[in-house]
Amino acid sequence: MKRNTIVAGSVSRRALLRGLVTCAGLYLLPATTLAAVSESSNSAIAFDSNALIIARGSLLLYRDRDRNWITLPEMSAGSILTLATHPERPGRVIGGLDTGRIVLSVDGGKSWDVRGQGLPKAAVTAITTAATNPDTIYAAIRGDGLWQSDDAGQSWVFVMDRPWLANAERDLTALSSVDLATGMGGIWLYAGTDTGVTRVPDCFCRWQDVQPGDAMDALASGKQATPKVPLPEGEPVSALVSAVSRPATLYAGLPSGIWQSQDAGVTWLKRSEVIATALAVHPLRADDLVIVNNDGVLQSPDGGRTWTAIANI
Amino acid sequence: MSAVSPGSMVTGLMAGVGMALLFGVMDASAKPENLTFLEKPLTPEQIALGKDDYVEFCASCHGSNLEGQKNWKRRLDTGRMPAPPHDASGHTWRHSDQELFAITKFGVGAVVPGYESDMPAFEDVLSDEEIIAVLGYIKSVWSDEEREFQHNLNLKDGRAR
Repeated sequence: MKRNTIVAGSVSRRALLRGLVTCAGLYLLPATTLAAVSESSNSAIAFDSNALIIARGSLLLYRDRDRNWITLPEMSAGSILTLATHPERPGRVIGGLDTGRIVLSVDGGKSWDVRGQGLPKAAVTAITTAATNPDTIYAAIRGDGLWQSDDAGQSWVFVMDRPWLANAERDLTALSSVDLATGMGGIWLYAGTDTGVTRVPDCFCRWQDVQPGDAMDALASGKQATPKVPLPEGEPVSALVSAVSRPATLYAGLPSGIWQSQDAGVTWLKRSEVIATALAVHPLRADDLVIVNNDGVLQSPDGGRTWTAIANI
Repeated sequence: MSAVSPGSMVTGLMAGVGMALLFGVMDASAKPENLTFLEKPLTPEQIALGKDDYVEFCASCHGSNLEGQKNWKRRLDTGRMPAPPHDASGHTWRHSDQELFAITKFGVGAVVPGYESDMPAFEDVLSDEEIIAVLGYIKSVWSDEEREFQHNLNLKDGRAR
């Protein structure tokens, strides 16, 4: 199949749309579905091994390992705002709903079990599985805070209030378990907000800015720590993902484009002008990205430098 | 928040290490085989001193039974977090001795730059040996499991050696 490759540095919205239209004929999505989807900007995407699952509004799509697209049955419990998978649980997909529930599928989204009893009745804005424990799930609840389940969503405990940034509590727009040691016997949870990225250790002592790994030593010795190159100040983060195969590699979707860090968020580099409302990284290939935006689903094999339209939704 | 002068944290810790070298007769409840600070055993006298200082300087926020403030996981109206428990239900045992000492002496900002907390720095209130005693008392209420977990953090934290 001929691919529609786009170089990010020179891509225009028109060129992107042309490419997507070209690709549209390759996929047999019903026209009525497309019309319904265009009404909503909520989207989520996750790799399930080599497969992909995408939620947008009430639409659920699955691309199997042979790259066949399947439109999954619409969910009655609500619309999925956020998706999570884990490399050690192929076929299992977890979704956070706008109605404040968690849904879990063990068959790639064909059927769902509603969970999340005990969670506040507010939208689940971000969800992730713990990188080191597939049955531990974290869910961010709008207007409330962060909750944890250690039994794959059956029971939940409140673990942390929302982060305080720029003089206000901030809802989480994205959540990613980053398999890097905190020094407190656990790993980090990174979060996107409407005003940047923050993180908390999984012992939940406090939300905090990303610091260079040598910051404490520098403080004690009086030397300079590694200089930070943060994301543009104040920009909302619509997507944030750590690459499972290379946890210090992070990708963030902002209005200014897609940004990459290779040192766990100390320094960031803009990789693409393309806008992403949802983003996922292949579990084995840290440079293999997929995103959802208002133009459809795009894939990049090289960390965001070039893009190929893979679905027109 | 008090400013941390270059090297002052290290100096303070070294002073603490010196005080922790004091030995005495351990009572059974202190579990001397496990109760250490910066790898040095703590004495019952230190634990008793630490309890007195805890009651005087810490209990009003962290609770007389180390239970922390009510709803300590929920942010205050000021945007700051309430005082957490120091018992097993909190996260104190997830910090190395080095970090606990630095937080107590210099404030939370010493380990999380820029972090705003209601907890003051005790640099001008408690001596290094009193800080170690207070932290020793807190550690004395932890179970063997929590103490072992925290001890392993100390081993991994090269700055604590």
